[in-house]
Amino acid sequence: MDLARQAQDGDESAFAEIVRRYSPRVFSVASRFFRQRSLVEEAAQEVFLKAYTQLGSFEGRGSLEGWLTRIATNTCLNMVRSSKRRPELTVSDLTDDEEGWLNQQSAGDGREQASVENSLVAADLADRLLAVLPPEDQQALLMIDGEDASIKEVAEATGWSESKVKVRAFRARKKLREAMEKLLDHRGKPVEQVSK
Amino acid sequence: MKEKHITEILDNAAIASLSEVELNEIRVHTKDCVSCRDAFEAAQLAAVILKSRAQVTIEPTPFFQTRVMAALREQQAVESVPAMWRLWKSAKVLVSSMAVTTAALAALSFVLPATSTPVDQPVSAYSAESVIIGQGSDELTYEQVLSTIYADDDEAGK
Repeated sequence: MDLARQAQDGDESAFAEIVRRYSPRVFSVASRFFRQRSLVEEAAQEVFLKAYTQLGSFEGRGSLEGWLTRIATNTCLNMVRSSKRRPELTVSDLTDDEEGWLNQQSAGDGREQASVENSLVAADLADRLLAVLPPEDQQALLMIDGEDASIKEVAEATGWSESKVKVRAFRARKKLREAMEKLLDHRGKPVEQVSK
Repeated sequence: MKEKHITEILDNAAIASLSEVELNEIRVHTKDCVSCRDAFEAAQLAAVILKSRAQVTIEPTPFFQTRVMAALREQQAVESVPAMWRLWKSAKVLVSSMAVTTAALAALSFVLPATSTPVDQPVSAYSAESVIIGQGSDELTYEQVLSTIYADDDEAGK
C-alpha cells in the first residue's frame, strides 16, 4: 500500500519497484492467454501502463497484487477478443507429436513418462483445443482445472460473479471434453482403455 | 438417464476435485456404458492437457522493468502535447481578443495621427490673418507659418 501511495504521489521509483515486484505475477496471468514471449511482454507492458494511469482508483481495500491481476486479466481478454478464433481441431490437423502423445496416453503408458517434451506437446494440444472456446471460458477452465483455483479466486481475478464463473467453467469443460472425445473417436482408439 | 448423469458429474467440476463417492459412481457406471467410458477418458485427457498448459509460464526478463519505465515516459511525453493543445483551446479566445485589442490600440496611437497630419497641405490655404489670430496654428508647422507670412508680404510689395 505504501508503494502504491508513493506511486500515486508521482514517485517514479516507487512505480518501478511495483513493476519489478509484480511482473512475475502479471507474466503468469498473460502466459495463460499467450504462448509467444513477445505477446506476453506486450500484454504485461500494457497492464503496467494502465495501472499507472489508474493508480488513483486503487483505494487499497484489496491487495495491490489482486488489483494488478484483475487489470492483467481484463487487458489480456481484450487482446484475445480482437484476435480471430480458430476453427475446431480435427484429427487431420494434429501434428505427429500430438497424435503420438494421444496414442501414448490412451495406451495408458503416458502418465509415467511426463517429460518436458511431452508436457509441451500436451500444452500445444491444449492451446489448439481451447482456441475454439470464447476467451472468457478458456480463462475460467485454465484457472480451475489447470491451476486448481477455486471459483471464488477466479471471480476475484476476473471481476465476474461466482455463478458466472461456474457457468463458464461448466460450458468450457463440456466443450473441451467433447472435442477430445471426437479426436479419440476419429483416431479409432481401442474401446478397452478404461480408467482404473 | 444414467449416462447423462455421469457426464454431468464430469462437466460439473475438475476431475481432480471429484469426491471418492463421485469417482466410485463413475467407475460403476462406466463398466456397462461405453459412451460414458469414452467421455471419462476424454475428460481425463482434457485434465492432463490443461495441467500441462497451466505449467507453461513465461518469466519476465531483467530488462522488462526498464522497458516499462521507458514506455511510461514516452506515453507521458505524448500526453503532454494534447495537454498544451487543450490549454490553447480554452485560452485562445482570450489570447485572440487581447491581440486584437493591442493591434487596435497600436493603430490608434501610430497610424491615425500620422494620416491626419496635413503634411503636404497647400500653403495658400492659410492666410496671414488666420496665422496672426492663431486659427489653425495647431495644425501648421513652423515653416508653413513663415512661408505664409512672407508670401503675403511679397504680394503686398508687388
